[in-house]
Amino acid sequence: MIQLNQVHKSFTVKDRKTRAAKRIDAVRGISLEVRPGEIYGLLGPNGAGKSTTLRMIAGLMDPDSGSIHVCGHETRQKPEAVRACLGYLSTDMGVYVRFTPRELLRIFGEFQDVDPRVAERRGLHLLEKLQLADFADVKMEGFSSGQKQKVSIARALLHDPKVVIFDEPTTGLDVLTAKTVLDLLRIMREEGRTVIVSTHVMPMVEDICDRVGIIFDGKLHGDAPPLDLLRSRNAKSLDEVFFQLAAESEEIH
Amino acid sequence: MRGALLIAKKEFLELSKDRKTLFFAFVLPFLLYPAIFGMMAKMAKRDEAQNRSKASRVYLVDPSSAIAGLLQADSKRFELVPKPEGDLRQALRDQKLDLAVEVEPGAAAALQGHATFSITATTDESERSAEIALKRLREALDGQQKAWIQERLHALGASAQLAEPLKLEVKNAADPALEIGKVMGRILPYLLMIMMYTGSMQHGIYATAGEKERHTLLSLMATRLPRNQIILGKLLYIFSMGVIAALLNLLSMGLSIPFMSGGSTSSAQALAAVANPMTLGLTFMIMVPLGLFFSNFILLMGIQARNTIEAGSAITPGIFLVVFLGIFTMAPGVDKMAFLAYVPVVNVCLALRKLFSQQFNQMEYLVSFAMTVGLAGLMTWVSTRILNREKALFKA
Repeated sequence: MIQLNQVHKSFTVKDRKTRAAKRIDAVRGISLEVRPGEIYGLLGPNGAGKSTTLRMIAGLMDPDSGSIHVCGHETRQKPEAVRACLGYLSTDMGVYVRFTPRELLRIFGEFQDVDPRVAERRGLHLLEKLQLADFADVKMEGFSSGQKQKVSIARALLHDPKVVIFDEPTTGLDVLTAKTVLDLLRIMREEGRTVIVSTHVMPMVEDICDRVGIIFDGKLHGDAPPLDLLRSRNAKSLDEVFFQLAAESEEIH
Repeated sequence: MRGALLIAKKEFLELSKDRKTLFFAFVLPFLLYPAIFGMMAKMAKRDEAQNRSKASRVYLVDPSSAIAGLLQADSKRFELVPKPEGDLRQALRDQKLDLAVEVEPGAAAALQGHATFSITATTDESERSAEIALKRLREALDGQQKAWIQERLHALGASAQLAEPLKLEVKNAADPALEIGKVMGRILPYLLMIMMYTGSMQHGIYATAGEKERHTLLSLMATRLPRNQIILGKLLYIFSMGVIAALLNLLSMGLSIPFMSGGSTSSAQALAAVANPMTLGLTFMIMVPLGLFFSNFILLMGIQARNTIEAGSAITPGIFLVVFLGIFTMAPGVDKMAFLAYVPVVNVCLALRKLFSQQFNQMEYLVSFAMTVGLAGLMTWVSTRILNREKALFKA
């Protein structure tokens, strides 16, 4: 279970020309709730605040104000407990290429306090599911980006987390690998896990997400099931809803 | 602490997978020092033997033949050569001859009349062969001078002791171990500091800014391990690599001593006398907090950098500082400046210098040790505080 209540986050950046400090509000008062057995799709253009929101949920960043609860733990107070029940994957996450997938999973099993035998069994099971079992003992130096992404997915799910956060999980993947990832997400929903996925791929959202939230300028719009969102906006696709929101956002500014 | 140990274990496992780095970090020092020192010793020995076996080339100007006969008679040590073409000083610098000796024209007459005459020797003292030639000339002239004095005294009917009211006998109070200890005390702290710093540097950059560059740091942070444990684990790894590098290099240097001394056991025995367990233990004890201080600096710069290039630019100037401080502490008279016991880093060098030269000062050592421990502790606290910040970890 994930609960966000009026979450704000801002960053201070320096203007290179004027050397003046500038405050950027990345997330502005987002509230949402994701239940077990649900896949929540978080959409939005680049720089809208998706990754910042997901990082705050994962306890990697602290909100400036508001509160986030994951598995019953407040992220600022118990970030370790939050991360213990959560599997986090981001496109900008690399793998330790000097290791084989088996070695990497063994090490991360230790980090996540998983019994070595359980980690070994579960790691191989995940690699099989991701069609990477044949490469379990191959050094990752020569792996394609898709293979590395699969290893990252296995790493994120190794400790059997109740909550899963995938930040753009299919970016850079071929159609077949992307389908494998989507199938895995469906399985996780069936297993009763709480899943948040951020993506740019609208058909994927319509296909697998139970509910969708669109972030524009750090604010959450249209927190509803995809079909309800289409109906309320009188749109034929999520792409259309996306463009409508973009136009509204420009009008406001 | 379990988390920190797991992170350090991960770093060492990652290192163990890179054969090239393993070779350069652990095997090369063992091959490099004996090879370099062995080759240097062999070349120096051969050069010395060559210089000593051949006669020194001397251009002699002696119109009255006051000393010409003396040099000609000693053909094994002197070879009189004609005046070289061009400038005499340039000929000496070009090693066309080893020595130019000019005896004043009235030398023979001065000798007859029991007066004094002068000899001017010109040489390029930066050359070993010239140094040997000058030494040979001094020996030859000293012997001849004594004979002439004896002759003059005899002619005056005086005793030979008249011109020698005293005889100075010099005895060396320093045993070979103390001499070696003093040399080691000057060089060792400098070497240890450089080895520790450079040994930590590359591994530190790889484990900090390198993780950012390879986008793997986020995967560590997404685990249940507390952030400060991740930082401490990396610190432990960087520190360990610095200590290992310093110890391996020293060990290799120690093993190279027989090569340097040409197989003689006397210097090895003297070294063994200096490097007793007490001295080595105290050296290790004070080097631990210093290594921790260096590692913290590397960690701090590494994690805050966006990539390895930026980290390298921030960490490399540290080498120059270490070299500068090391050279400063080697200067003569520095060990007498009491206030330096309160200057961080410098005080460690001085404490080690005194330790090896058998001038161990307990109070100075304790002050240096306490200050370095305090500094390392403070730096560790600052590192974990600063590196815990999102700004440092997510700087990209």
